[in-house]
Amino acid sequence: MLDFMKNFFGKVFGNLFNKKKHVKLGLYGPPNAGKSTLANTICKDWLGEEMSSVSNVAHETREINVKEQVSIKSDDGKELSFNLVDTPGIATKIDYEDFLKQGVKEKKAKKRAKEATKGVVEAIKWLDDMDSVVIVLDATKDPYSQVNITIVGNLAARDIPVLIVGNKTDLKKADLKKIQAAFPQYDVVGMSAKYGKNSKDFYKALFKVVK
Amino acid sequence: MPHQCVRCGTIYDDGSKEILSGCSCGAKLFFFIKKERLKEAKEETAKLSKREKEEIEKDVFDLVGSEIDEDKPVVLDFESIKVLKPGKYELDLVSLFKEEPLVYKLEDGKYMVDILATFKSIMEKKK
Repeated sequence: MLDFMKNFFGKVFGNLFNKKKHVKLGLYGPPNAGKSTLANTICKDWLGEEMSSVSNVAHETREINVKEQVSIKSDDGKELSFNLVDTPGIATKIDYEDFLKQGVKEKKAKKRAKEATKGVVEAIKWLDDMDSVVIVLDATKDPYSQVNITIVGNLAARDIPVLIVGNKTDLKKADLKKIQAAFPQYDVVGMSAKYGKNSKDFYKALFKVVK
Repeated sequence: MPHQCVRCGTIYDDGSKEILSGCSCGAKLFFFIKKERLKEAKEETAKLSKREKEEIEKDVFDLVGSEIDEDKPVVLDFESIKVLKPGKYELDLVSLFKEEPLVYKLEDGKYMVDILATFKSIMEKKK
């Protein structure tokens, strides 16, 4: 009887206290690097549905989007569960005139700039809540930017595990080696989130980063 | 540290009664201006039209959130977020990452750090 009670309470309370909170995996990076495209690829691959809207005009994501309980599986049958957090692009300058050039009307462009500014602040505030972060960079662009260096430096200071994705490797100008040279202390995976190219390697690398 | 009215651009010295009661133009929103930036701030403001200043004031209210009481004077540390013109923003990522407060509410002549609580409550609501 005693054993039964021990077992019973052990199970009930053990489950209660051992129940691990869902790991938060954040997608961070500069605007238009492909964070939302990657979020969509992950969700399409494992949940069969998209998560965020994407656009060629920068700062399409201006609010934090969370997809709860995304589970991915490795080839050897391991499972990884996390809440996926898609964040607004981090920038040092947001100018509505950049949106005008892309055909957005003035009033909407100014609103977009204001919301994007708010989004940057919000993305930064959420950082402390992240358990692991995937930094999404556009592999066709110079990785040595103030934004990239600030994000990477702050994640290192907070001891948050990081995986760097060099996105858009389907484009000729993509230079993954440059990203690897810029951030040699991190795993860098090249992929094309848009076409799902190399996503297998990306998922493999995720298993190493998300604990 | 001098303060600048967001609506009309008038600059007040630290401790001026207007910072506690509101600017003579009726606005109650102020930017902190570092002494070394005073000249630059004056020049930038001089270039703005009345309409642009009003637009900036509205945008700033939108940016800092609805939690702010519009009737009480508020001081903004917009060294971290600079509004150059309506729709044009410059962000100082280093100070943003340091999580320094952006907004100080003025009550009884004291500054109260408020923005972290504001952002935390936004996050709680979203969870």
